[in-house]
Amino acid sequence: MQMLDIEEILKILPQRMPFVMIDRVVEFEPGKKVVAVKNVTFNEDFFSGHFPGKPVMPGVLIIEAMAQSAIMLFYVKGSQESNNKSSYYLTASKIRFFHPVIPGDQLKISIEPIKLISSAGIVKASAFVGDKEVASGELTFAVKPV
Amino acid sequence: MQDIDNEIKDLVAEIIEKNPAELAGDARFIEDLGVDSMMALEILAALEKKYKIAIPEEKLAEFTTLNEIIKVVKQYIPNN
Repeated sequence: MQMLDIEEILKILPQRMPFVMIDRVVEFEPGKKVVAVKNVTFNEDFFSGHFPGKPVMPGVLIIEAMAQSAIMLFYVKGSQESNNKSSYYLTASKIRFFHPVIPGDQLKISIEPIKLISSAGIVKASAFVGDKEVASGELTFAVKPV
Repeated sequence: MQDIDNEIKDLVAEIIEKNPAELAGDARFIEDLGVDSMMALEILAALEKKYKIAIPEEKLAEFTTLNEIIKVVKQYIPNN
């Protein structure tokens, strides 16, 4: 199983600090399956306001981590050079959240395709902390090449 | 065959969030119904799953009305 470290992830993702929501890809089979890891620490900026004295990772950022993992899944469809120059647009998300994600958690995000075409995709996304599923659902996104 | 027509109508209506009774077969998705190309992709994926068929990407361009969708899907359902 191929793994990708952060340097390799940044060759594919167009996002940059402070908006890279995955730290490592632990399973990388473009077009078939991607599992990515996000380590959640108390030092994250968003915890200072969400919420003071009660840190909970915002659900929208879990969706962002899923969306970035979906970009990794889409990789196989594009050419290597164009991946992080393409524009990616999230067009629909149907995600349910089951448990709060808090500092110290390691978020594991699993993405599998429902339908991928050359310019768009629909994926099934699940997020786990340990064995516990914390969120799951579907994302639809469009890709505009350079 | 009427059954399939109605099944597809219900499926499309649900995705584009319209009442099936108000979904005319010849209403144009983009111009009349405000459906965008990504909803068309969701319709395609849902049809593939429901009928266990594979519809090629090029056919998406033909998803302009409910009637056109029914026409395309029937080309891919066996014994039709």
